[in-house]
Amino acid sequence: MIRLLAFLGVFLFAASSAGNAQNARDLVTALSANVVSIQSNFTGTEIVVFGQASHIARQPNAPDGFELAIVVEGPPQDITTRRKGRFLGVWVNREAERFQGVPSFYAVASTSNIGDIADRNVLDDLGIGLNHLNLAVSGVSNVALSDRDDFRRAFVRLREEAGLYAEQQTSIEFLTETMFRTNIPLPANIPVGDYKVKSFLFNQGKLVSQTEETLAVAKIGFEQITFELAQNYSLLYGFLAVALAIFTGWMASIIFRKD
Amino acid sequence: MQLYLPIAEIPVNIFVIFAMGGAVGFLSGLFGIGGGFLLTPLLIFSGIPPAVSVATVTTQVVASSASAVVSYWRRKAIDFKLATILLAGGVFGSLVGVILFDILQSVGQLDLVISLSYVTFLGAIGGLMLFESVRAIRRRKAGTAPSARRPGQHNWIHGLPLKVRFRRSKLYVSVIPVVGLGTIIGFLGTVLGIGGGFMMVPALIYLLRVPTSIVIGTSLFQILFTMAAATIFHSIGTKTVDIVLAMTLMIGGVIGAQFGARMGQKLRGDQLRLLLALLVLGVGMRFAVDLLLIPDDFYSIAIRKGAGS
Repeated sequence: MIRLLAFLGVFLFAASSAGNAQNARDLVTALSANVVSIQSNFTGTEIVVFGQASHIARQPNAPDGFELAIVVEGPPQDITTRRKGRFLGVWVNREAERFQGVPSFYAVASTSNIGDIADRNVLDDLGIGLNHLNLAVSGVSNVALSDRDDFRRAFVRLREEAGLYAEQQTSIEFLTETMFRTNIPLPANIPVGDYKVKSFLFNQGKLVSQTEETLAVAKIGFEQITFELAQNYSLLYGFLAVALAIFTGWMASIIFRKD
Repeated sequence: MQLYLPIAEIPVNIFVIFAMGGAVGFLSGLFGIGGGFLLTPLLIFSGIPPAVSVATVTTQVVASSASAVVSYWRRKAIDFKLATILLAGGVFGSLVGVILFDILQSVGQLDLVISLSYVTFLGAIGGLMLFESVRAIRRRKAGTAPSARRPGQHNWIHGLPLKVRFRRSKLYVSVIPVVGLGTIIGFLGTVLGIGGGFMMVPALIYLLRVPTSIVIGTSLFQILFTMAAATIFHSIGTKTVDIVLAMTLMIGGVIGAQFGARMGQKLRGDQLRLLLALLVLGVGMRFAVDLLLIPDDFYSIAIRKGAGS
């Protein structure tokens, strides 16, 4: 709560300075935290995005042509989607499609249904909404053109099931006429890296203003040391694992020695 | 209690993992096996990524075989010369295994190969053990003594060149089948995340005719080092050994093994082998069913590059 108040303070200050600049900054946003730390007790968290959109004269539940969308995007990944088929009576992976540079995490929050915010091509350009994500595929693929959409849908569905892709329409809440907030849940399995939090303000389907914040998701303490050891000093890590295993086994044989 | 695994990058219920380690440890103590072939599928079914499961179980097998090796060592029931030659093959097999593991993972057929291998090996060995133990139980009930091994008995393996004398095992046999056996088991162990004791022990007894009293200690000793090598190769190659997961499994495993070993002393050898045969066949069947039934989801995804790959 204290953190929340602190951020409200920060952003009110930001908002007042924005007011001086008039139209230069119609939209101001702040995050409840700029770093999400993953420790051994990490089971997921959420971040709060605060913001103020000036000159919108928006009444809660009575939109006046102004709409907001907030996108949280994780670091890019290359992901292969595979489809099983029957081969000699056994179910095996047959076709594969590789999606390149797709977000490892993607959550979008908006004031109304995403399709109503702007035209399809605007949403496609900005990558707002799961249906408008730019999922680039690699040139080499054994998937028939007619099946490409099935792979796309399956990919998004599997990511949604894993909690890594999410669409929360109408989840942005207005605190006053111009101040808003929304909660974006971050599940326990979020990948580490630098995230982008992009906020878009639309008026009558046109992009009026946009902001971008960064959010770092990082392992800290023991988790970080272990991970870095495994990545950068893998030989040492391997010997350490073996030493630990032999020691544990040896200790057990001493503790439970019968004679 | 949820604990975040640093390499698997997911939180798991630590007590569930501990209990799994304990249960498999119990069975491994009961039957005198490593238990990798049970633990790896259990971890995969419970949602740990297959690559992490396979690599981490190799570490857990190091711990469980280390604790058993100590007691066989005290009883001098290890043929170090035989174990060392098996080991040379084992390390080589393990290295080839890691390379193949990497290739299969990148072409998306790792799960298939693991499943098929489980079906084949568990089915074959479970079937043989079932056949053998049922025959032994029948023979015991009928009261006829099993035909003892005659010293002059030879099979084709004893005709191979490059013979070496193994004093502890009272054997004079070619190194070719010994290295070959080590290589195959090291290879399978690395790819499948199993120690391979359940394949090694029958092979040493039936193919090389190593005395039964020496077999288990020798097999465990070679598995200890092969799996230690596999852990290091996995650490360097796939970077999927999760030390926190391994530690939890190890502690559960070594405790469970003690209770299993005590229970095992109350059961007859042929009964134990029958139970183990059924267990091995059961796991093999589970994989076969998965391959044959229409899958719930035809699609699957795998991260190839970037965060979390």
